[in-house]
Amino acid sequence: MASARYSDLQLDALRELANIGSGTAGTALSALLGRPVDISVPNAAALELADAVDAAGAAEDVVWAVLVAVGGDLQATALLVISDHDAAAIGALLGVEPDSEEARSALEEIGNILVASYVGAVGSMTGFVLDLRPPASAHDMLAAVVSTVIAARSDGRDMAIMLDSELRIEREAIALSFMLLPTPEGVDELLERIGLGA
Amino acid sequence: MGELAVSRAPGEVLTSVGLGSCIGLALVCRRGRACGLAHVMLPESAGRDAHDDPVGAARPGKYADRAVPALLAGVGLLGARPTTLDAVVVGGAQMFPRSTGMEIGSRNEAAVRAQLARAGVRVIAAATAGGLGRTIRVHVADGTVTVREAGAQEVTLR
Repeated sequence: MASARYSDLQLDALRELANIGSGTAGTALSALLGRPVDISVPNAAALELADAVDAAGAAEDVVWAVLVAVGGDLQATALLVISDHDAAAIGALLGVEPDSEEARSALEEIGNILVASYVGAVGSMTGFVLDLRPPASAHDMLAAVVSTVIAARSDGRDMAIMLDSELRIEREAIALSFMLLPTPEGVDELLERIGLGA
Repeated sequence: MGELAVSRAPGEVLTSVGLGSCIGLALVCRRGRACGLAHVMLPESAGRDAHDDPVGAARPGKYADRAVPALLAGVGLLGARPTTLDAVVVGGAQMFPRSTGMEIGSRNEAAVRAQLARAGVRVIAAATAGGLGRTIRVHVADGTVTVREAGAQEVTLR
């Protein structure tokens, strides 16, 4: 979905970066989960932040959210959102209790792997040097976790890049909402580096 | 998010779902039925104008230093003066405990309380801070204000 700010071509490029990243992520998650993992080609959309809250799901739904701060040449916040139901499915595959510390750690690790994979793809295509902070997680209403991240990142120009993917693990399909909140300068620089500057 | 609403219609329930670090500020008139609710995201606009923040300019509730005056003006249009208002403050949590840069919840609460004090409006109840998300509901019919955390019972604050 193109916006006033990003053209279809630019969104396709971001989607392609995510696609490359999701290949690496699939391999790493397979190792973690001990089963083949397939990550679908993501949908990429640039959304105004309030719309991003709505796009991620119903405001009052309880979800697991994993947050990873990205620093270095690109400042961004990455947020992974998984429904309670799908998080429990992952937990079951790993043999952990749904609301336990082990489940939390597993989800944080999954978030870490996904962000590292996407960031790795960005780094290799752009030459950016990027680092990740340790993940933090929350288990609460969708609107509460997403709005908190958005408000913290907000610098007045509210734009989020949403990459929605589906994980397929054996016969289970698990929906992931992956939100990247870079600074506007960061995205412009990134697009510039891959030859699609405005 | 970043919005505000006022009402005097008895059937209405003003709601902000899933307040994390944001503050839901409810104003209830003790003498009429005027009520207002603002969803505040950030403590201050820092002089940003419509050019720097076109989205924020369209969302009067976004910054505490604009939201509180705007909400007071809104209930004022419905006939409620600041001295007749009860304020209830909900939210301002830190959703990601170990993460730095996500502590704006307490700054939001402080900014909203400071703006209310400037206007002479008393805060009669609050459900703030901690690590849990909250939903606030303002029942215009009788001025009841409730808060609910995920998986918990609704609690009446006013």
